[in-house]
Amino acid sequence: MSSDGSERQRPQRWDKPFSETMTDEIVERLVSTEPFNRVDESRFRSSLSLRDILKNDARLIPCQPGDIVVRKGDWGSSAFFILDGNMRVEIEPPETSLPASTLGRREVRRKSIFEAFSQLWSNHRTPEFRQIAKTASGVGQRSSGDRTQIYLEDVSAVLDKYRTVTIKSGQFFGEIAALGRSPRVATVFSEGDGELLEIRWQGLRDIMRRDDEIRRQIEETFRERALSSFLRTSAMFSHLSDEEMDELVACAQFESYGQYDSAKAGRTGGIEGEPLIAEEGHYPNGVVLIRSGVARISRKHHNGHRTVGYLNPGQAYGFDEISEGGVPLRYSMRAIGFLAAVLVPTAAVEKLVLKKSGSSGDSVPVAPIAPMPARPPQAVEPQDAGVSVNNDLLEFIVERRFIQGTATMVIDLDRCTRCDDCVRACSDAHDNNPRFIRHGPIHGHYMVATACMHCEDPVCMIECPTGAIHRNQMEGQVIINDQTCIGCSSCANNCPYTAIRMVEIRDAQGVIQLDHRNQPIVQATKCDLCVDQIGGPSCQRACPHDALRRVDMRSLSGLGEMVNR
Amino acid sequence: MRTFAARRLVFGSGFVITAAAVLFADSALSVLMYPVAHVSGWGLLGLVVFLALYNVRKKLTVIPLGWSAWWLQFHIYFGLLTAVVFAVHIGFKIPNGTLEVCLATAYAAVFVSGVVGLILSRVIPPRLASRGEEVIFERIPVFVRRIREEVEALVLQCISETDTSAVPNFYLDGLRSYFERPRNYWSHLVHSTRPLHRILTDMEAQHRYLNEKELGLVREIEDRVRIKDDLDYHHAMQKTLKSWMFFHIPLTWCLLVLAVFHVVLVHAFTGGIR
Repeated sequence: MSSDGSERQRPQRWDKPFSETMTDEIVERLVSTEPFNRVDESRFRSSLSLRDILKNDARLIPCQPGDIVVRKGDWGSSAFFILDGNMRVEIEPPETSLPASTLGRREVRRKSIFEAFSQLWSNHRTPEFRQIAKTASGVGQRSSGDRTQIYLEDVSAVLDKYRTVTIKSGQFFGEIAALGRSPRVATVFSEGDGELLEIRWQGLRDIMRRDDEIRRQIEETFRERALSSFLRTSAMFSHLSDEEMDELVACAQFESYGQYDSAKAGRTGGIEGEPLIAEEGHYPNGVVLIRSGVARISRKHHNGHRTVGYLNPGQAYGFDEISEGGVPLRYSMRAIGFLAAVLVPTAAVEKLVLKKSGSSGDSVPVAPIAPMPARPPQAVEPQDAGVSVNNDLLEFIVERRFIQGTATMVIDLDRCTRCDDCVRACSDAHDNNPRFIRHGPIHGHYMVATACMHCEDPVCMIECPTGAIHRNQMEGQVIINDQTCIGCSSCANNCPYTAIRMVEIRDAQGVIQLDHRNQPIVQATKCDLCVDQIGGPSCQRACPHDALRRVDMRSLSGLGEMVNR
Repeated sequence: MRTFAARRLVFGSGFVITAAAVLFADSALSVLMYPVAHVSGWGLLGLVVFLALYNVRKKLTVIPLGWSAWWLQFHIYFGLLTAVVFAVHIGFKIPNGTLEVCLATAYAAVFVSGVVGLILSRVIPPRLASRGEEVIFERIPVFVRRIREEVEALVLQCISETDTSAVPNFYLDGLRSYFERPRNYWSHLVHSTRPLHRILTDMEAQHRYLNEKELGLVREIEDRVRIKDDLDYHHAMQKTLKSWMFFHIPLTWCLLVLAVFHVVLVHAFTGGIR
């Protein structure tokens, strides 16, 4: 009972549908169209029918020439099905691909010495001053309904200058990034007028679960387009011949664990709430290669579990045990949040990697195999030499998911004199606006400050409608383009670490800028790792006592170095 | 130099070797009747100017002038070296002229304030980290006011629910001033818990006059006394960490002005710069 005595409805999955514009008529039209007309609706539960999924987890997107549907490098949570018209996929190599500004992104250019120096007098006294250009070069912005769309102003020029391939109606695209929560691998834009069906990953997942044909179609697309190159990134499989790789690709299985949107730290309720992928003491049924997300590696310790490390995308689990003849797993593996992985069955590993002949079990290695330990490089135990991070600290960073950070701001409070030189330096580098707060969770004498960690898996980027928040393609920092940020707050709401703030922007006189409804215009701000400054992050350079470090948490060596100074 | 110990070893060794070289050069030049004071004077001025430049580096954060942490290391060890050069410069004797005494006093004040600052910056942070919640200095008055409001609400609750004046009277006589603003600076500076102990003892002495209800409220007030004490501690320590600079930097400017005046006078009375 609520305080006013009235009963309230328990929140439901579709309280907030993907789009308010989806009507029964549109759904009816969709279920009579390929490929949904081939789906056996009787395989869906009545509470989760195909029509409900389409109505609540999908939306129609009318396209005009040049509309950018997905941008290479963006994180996506939805897939697209082309109902009408043609899409173009840009296939240029990174060095000659569409420039960042054309995609509505910020052109990152380091300041010259003079420009850096001139910040001493050119920084604005007004907080959060912004000068929003009317249009960025080569890119336009238009609104249709509740959507803001970035589009290429001169499609024909783009088609002339950049190599593209056409995707015709009746095909899916964007499903790999949506289901694996990985960056989009290419930019896709509309060639002419058309219509797309955008499906949230949850809806796509449910359709795939109940319709073998669509699942097969999507999995095959992934196998064709991405699996081989993904497996080749692993030292375990890099030496395989093309034929062997084809065999491996054919038997690899796709797995995903955990809640896709469980990015908020602590939402899983600790290790007990995390989905178990493989359990200590069990026999390995294959090598697990992580595609996206982070896995916790733990061992039983009395009646609990002790975290001994974690695995990041591209790392593998279970190889040592298989190579030792199939001994039981030494560690348990759990998904922290959402995790997408590829499972290569034991038999395939033995046959193709360990070159075991038939059932004899003799191991005949014929190609050099780079070390790929089952115990990950990050797995640290207190007695390990070299990098050592005590277990409590390790539990803290894993539990709070700071392991996502590629540049986590860690402050040693035993050395920090609270002089705030770091904050001043940050402010100086950002037009007199500090981009972090020297405050945050503490463990022992280490504080993880409230500053963008530039996550390995930046969930803040998932729902940005204009691609304003994006990863710098050159160095990987997650940055925001003020020129295309529309202040929707999606990134700030999605950030599990509250590292993104929404601020009211001002003009040169310090007056808050208002929109046509007299509402203040807000924009997202966060640490950009001083991407345009010479010399890297100002905060780190300004700390006189070596107290502040931007630590890459993807491996424990950075943190280990800091705590063992 | 991955560890602080290794860095200390390298810089410490460098300091010892350089100091020994300075002392040796002093002896050697003295034997050769070379004007040691002239060389050491210019050397000392150069060192002081370099040390003062650290403050400029701290202001110019947007220019790539190297990490502040490295500057501080050089600042510390060159600062120590100035003591040796200074001793050589004054011939290991106490100066006797008015300007020289002023100059030497200014130098000593800068040196001592620097050493004190170094000690404070090494001693206070671990103490701050081990007590109370981490709090930003500028926010402390806000938290103090919040605690005061909470305590006053508890006192008012006591009045309305128990209709007795023991707790309100005690608050007015003994606690109100405590909650008004940060207190007991000097006690916290020397790590003394006596003020907290005294307040809690006084409060405990009141327990015998209170009923069950009042006792519950007083215990809540006691919790806030402890929180306020931690805030006071952070305030005292952080204020000290921030304020020693207000001695060190102005004194450095005094030293520089006096040193320039000294150089002008020396050259004026020795026939100009040669």
